[in-house]
Amino acid sequence: MAEFTKHLYLSMIPEAMIASQLSPEEFGVYYAIGTEKKSRGQAIFFELDPLFRHEELPIEEGFERCVPHDDGSPKRSVYISVYRVLERVALEAIRKLYLVTQDGRVLALDPAAECPEDTEGLHLYQEIAPVSPMVASTLGPLSFIDLIVRNPTSLLKLPAICFAELRLGELADDPEYGSVGDLPYPNIDHLRQCLTDLRTKAVHSKMVDRTGSAVFPYRVLKSGIYVGNAETVLFFPLPPHEELRREHYRWWRSANM
Amino acid sequence: MNIWVVVSLVSGVISVAAAVFYYRWVFQQDAGSEQAQRVARWIEEGSQSYLKKLYVALTMLSVGMAIVLAIIFGLQVSPGYGFTIAVTFIFGAVSSSVAGYMGMSVAVKGNVRTATAAERGLVPAFKVSINSGAVMGLAMVGMALIGMSLIYLLTESPEMVLGFSFGASMLALLAKAGGGIYTKTADIAADLVGKVEVGIPEDDPRNPAVVADNVGDNVGDVAGMGADILDSYIASAVAAMLLGAALPNVSADQRMMYTVFPLILCMLGSFASLIGLQFVRVREGGKPGPALNSGTVYTTVIFAAMVAAVILLSDIDTAALWATLAGLITGVVIGFTSDFFTGDDRPPVVETAKVSGSGAAITIITGFSYGLISIVPSIIGIVIAMLIAYFVAEASPVITGVYGVGISAVGMLSITGMIVSADAYGPIVDNARGIAEMAGMSPEVVEVTDILDAAGNTAKAITKGFAISAAALTVLALFSAYASEVYQAMLELDIAAQPMVISLLDPLVIAGIFLGAATPPLFSALTMLSVTHNAFDMIEEIRRQFRERPGILAGTEEPDYVACVSLASQDALKALIFPAFLAVALPLIVGFVMGPEPLGAFLGGAIFTGILFALLMANAGGLWDNAKKYVESGYFGGKGSEAHKASVVGDTVGDPFKDTAGPSLNTLITVMSLASSLFAPVIAAFHIF
Repeated sequence: MAEFTKHLYLSMIPEAMIASQLSPEEFGVYYAIGTEKKSRGQAIFFELDPLFRHEELPIEEGFERCVPHDDGSPKRSVYISVYRVLERVALEAIRKLYLVTQDGRVLALDPAAECPEDTEGLHLYQEIAPVSPMVASTLGPLSFIDLIVRNPTSLLKLPAICFAELRLGELADDPEYGSVGDLPYPNIDHLRQCLTDLRTKAVHSKMVDRTGSAVFPYRVLKSGIYVGNAETVLFFPLPPHEELRREHYRWWRSANM
Repeated sequence: MNIWVVVSLVSGVISVAAAVFYYRWVFQQDAGSEQAQRVARWIEEGSQSYLKKLYVALTMLSVGMAIVLAIIFGLQVSPGYGFTIAVTFIFGAVSSSVAGYMGMSVAVKGNVRTATAAERGLVPAFKVSINSGAVMGLAMVGMALIGMSLIYLLTESPEMVLGFSFGASMLALLAKAGGGIYTKTADIAADLVGKVEVGIPEDDPRNPAVVADNVGDNVGDVAGMGADILDSYIASAVAAMLLGAALPNVSADQRMMYTVFPLILCMLGSFASLIGLQFVRVREGGKPGPALNSGTVYTTVIFAAMVAAVILLSDIDTAALWATLAGLITGVVIGFTSDFFTGDDRPPVVETAKVSGSGAAITIITGFSYGLISIVPSIIGIVIAMLIAYFVAEASPVITGVYGVGISAVGMLSITGMIVSADAYGPIVDNARGIAEMAGMSPEVVEVTDILDAAGNTAKAITKGFAISAAALTVLALFSAYASEVYQAMLELDIAAQPMVISLLDPLVIAGIFLGAATPPLFSALTMLSVTHNAFDMIEEIRRQFRERPGILAGTEEPDYVACVSLASQDALKALIFPAFLAVALPLIVGFVMGPEPLGAFLGGAIFTGILFALLMANAGGLWDNAKKYVESGYFGGKGSEAHKASVVGDTVGDPFKDTAGPSLNTLITVMSLASSLFAPVIAAFHIF
């Protein structure tokens, strides 16, 4: 029987820890397009150090069950946990982030050596896990993590968070009259109002959409994806569009659907 | 023997020879990598397989129709006449088939060579694609000139050329309607499952319908559209020849001259197109669209100068020159006018894209409304051309008003060589883009083919406007030819000594108008229902492949492209039998039951609604298509936005409008008019009421 390397993945849609004998690229394809029996859809997941362990997560047991099928094919997925996973993962265990389009094109992103410094102005965040509202804010990404995870000023607090910073285009400078351009966000008038409120009222964040899912078009990513907890923040920058088009053409096309 | 007819014949041979030259030139270009050639072979085999099935069906139909013509005219006139009409009918069908086959053959070779040339830049890629398109344009014009001139040389009878025209039109109707059903079946099914359900991009090789989609571009837009314009081209010349032969108060020599004058115009147009094609050049970094337009403008100017020279140096009345120019200029202006309603940065398209943010219903209402408005300028153009041609000719002491209208239609269509070349360029570059994607060519190559493709869409829109307007003038001339044929037949039968009068006070005439007016909507509905029915079958097939073979989407397994190609072919051919039967049977039933005047009214009703529906559908469909593209280019939310979802609905509704029903209506009304003119002597003699 063939030997397969066992991998440990931290999925963000849904938040889950999964053991698999598929490589990250193979797992991405499988996870996004499934088989005839499974559902399909965009996927975002991290590849973790397979040596990572946590007392609340039955990783060892998951690996024991992660064995090839009778026909010799690799085990695609063994779900280890689907609840409160992100908060229990030490971010040092994260190796890479994989963005998978709904038709199974996989892009691997390495974490940046350092997080970029926050900038002034309006920001739009799509939270991915553990909850998935869309939030407009005057806070830069690092300040946003600080507010949500480390030093909350309200009763709301998350032990860890993964989110994407999305483009605001002209709305960042002119929320009321700026052109929407290619921003596909639903209920754009509400977004404009939220952004305007951030400028005129004494609030630093506004919930734009509390019912949306964590799925968003990759093409609207502004800088990249952040994941942070009380100790660490990791930033996974998305390469410039021109580089994506040149170096990762297939992924870029599917991401632009 | 008239020297002009011989010259026309020779010009036809030259045009075909030039097409063969371009054909060989295209073949000599680099066919690219093994992978690119493999993808191109799929498209080529799919196209050939469809054409083979189409031509088998057409052969049976043509032989059957020829036998019917031989029997009817054999009994009514003489066995020799019946036999000759049958032969000319088959000759017309064969000529159109040969030209269509040549165009298709080079298109499926030119596509991969264009994609390969795109690796070296825009200029070489554009040269390959326009030269490939020129094969279709020049072959079509050449075959038509050879056919018309040869038959006239041998028989000296315009009625026999009418048989040739009827044969070409029957083929055109089937090629256009069949190609239209095929292309939109594949397009809609590929998009709905591929893009919407599964989320894979356009021209992705994982889509089982992607080859059928590319085959559809060839059978619908190369063979179909080419046959459509050729049919109007021949029909307009024949109508004018018939009207020239019926000119009163002229000498025999003058009658001969005015009868062959349409052939002279076609001959000059073929030379002008050949010269105009040499001006279609683009610079690196330039835009192919203006290059295509400049070819049309140069061709128009050269043609006008040639016509003026011939008329001024011969005995032909100058009224013929003004009639020719009225049609020519109007055709070009209407062609470019349709670009206003469908161009991707024009107000109607931008407005439709903008309102799409409010939902699909508003998109449909807005696009449909602009489609309705778009009828007006074209109709005004047609009316102006018709009235100028009529009154200028009527003022002449030699030619009649209706002959002037006929000549204006020929004038409009005389530059068909250039127009069809630009039109055939569209599907060739569309295919080239598909091949570049499917063969995994570099993003830079895809970018070049994208630039070429954008110009192809504009060329297609202009050609559609041109084709519909040309068909309108053609059928108006055919209408007069029909009336003239009935009058001649009645004179010979001693039935009446007055030209046919169609009175709106006659209930049979009113009935004829209503029945005729209902025919284009019925035909449109039948062809569009065929698209939805066939697309439903293909959607099920694509879903089945994705469901049963998950490796297709994972990229580890190749889809069964042939299954979708075969499904599209057989469904398209099955679907067009009934509409094609109606096109020939309805006018004959009306004529034999109700008589010549109600049949004239029937044709009038069909022409009016046919032209209106054709303009509406072609322009509304093009507008919805470009509204979607406008949103996708980054406006009103771009891809994935609410506006995009609504504009996709509009585009899907518009697909069978602009590529199936709309363009087929030109051919429908031409076929009905030709069938009526051809059978006019028999109907004049035998009818119930």
